[in-house]
Amino acid sequence: MLTNFEQFAVTSMMGAADTPPRANGGLCFSEEWERTAFGVALALAREGHFEWEDFRQQLIVSIDGWEKSHELDDASWNYYERWLAALEAAVVESGLSTRDEIEARVAESEFADAKIPGAKQ
Amino acid sequence: MTAQFFYDADREKKNAARAKALQALLIEKGVITSKTVDTVLGYFETKMGPFNGAKAVARAWVDPAYKERLVADTAAALAELEFPEGMAGAEGEHMKAVANGDGVHNLIICTLCSCYPWPVLGLPPYWYKDPTFRSRAAREPRAVLKEFGLEVPSETEIKVWDSSAQIRWFVVPERPAGTDGLSEEQLAALVTPESMMGVAVAKAA
Repeated sequence: MLTNFEQFAVTSMMGAADTPPRANGGLCFSEEWERTAFGVALALAREGHFEWEDFRQQLIVSIDGWEKSHELDDASWNYYERWLAALEAAVVESGLSTRDEIEARVAESEFADAKIPGAKQ
Repeated sequence: MTAQFFYDADREKKNAARAKALQALLIEKGVITSKTVDTVLGYFETKMGPFNGAKAVARAWVDPAYKERLVADTAAALAELEFPEGMAGAEGEHMKAVANGDGVHNLIICTLCSCYPWPVLGLPPYWYKDPTFRSRAAREPRAVLKEFGLEVPSETEIKVWDSSAQIRWFVVPERPAGTDGLSEEQLAALVTPESMMGVAVAKAA
């Protein structure tokens, strides 16, 4: 019935713990990087680099981890930050890259010299 | 507050840097291309979404014969419009339109999100799958619509349509008054997903 992967992927999250933010029938991205993280994850699963369900499990774990360590009304909650953490985990687990390789690339990035709390300098 | 703001701005930057680094790494490895993200998102942003339903509704508003066809044979009527491939295929062929008017207001509900007519309505709002919404909408639609800010006149009949795997319903709302001079495109901009679910009506801008 569900012939399109994009549709299948998002529909499977509807009403679940990992349901993405949306408005007026569309997905909501507040920044370009959120859109990037979303698109990369769907594309990798569609191409079979990992199972969509496995990514979703990573995402649910990532969301759960945040909820356990923060107040429920913590305004610094960001769905796509959890998504990005899950995507990195899925990429490492599938063998597409390693944690070290990702961190090295982040360190080289144009933002690396900014004073960023928590970032590897 | 100021410190909090700077913290958040930095966190945004950090997330942006991580997402960009990961994307660049995967492009370099030949796993994805620089177009991949746009291709995936294009599906949601330009191919399948409420803009398709809005286009069909606007056409129905300007062409009464099209409106009749849209209700009588929804798949064929949708196929008349230049929608992307897949619109009237496996997903679209089960869609059925119901038109508001003549003393009838239609409301659609569904139990499973997979039954939501995604190609015309886009993604369902978060409350849509709530079992409480569904059961209350079926039982007391007038009261539920009132909570949505939609007061349906008592003489207007409310019909509730429950989407299933076989049929996915969507509503053709009534054309708002005072829109005589508008083009089809301008009219389409007035058609919200909520109005095609029947929890709202289309309003003049």
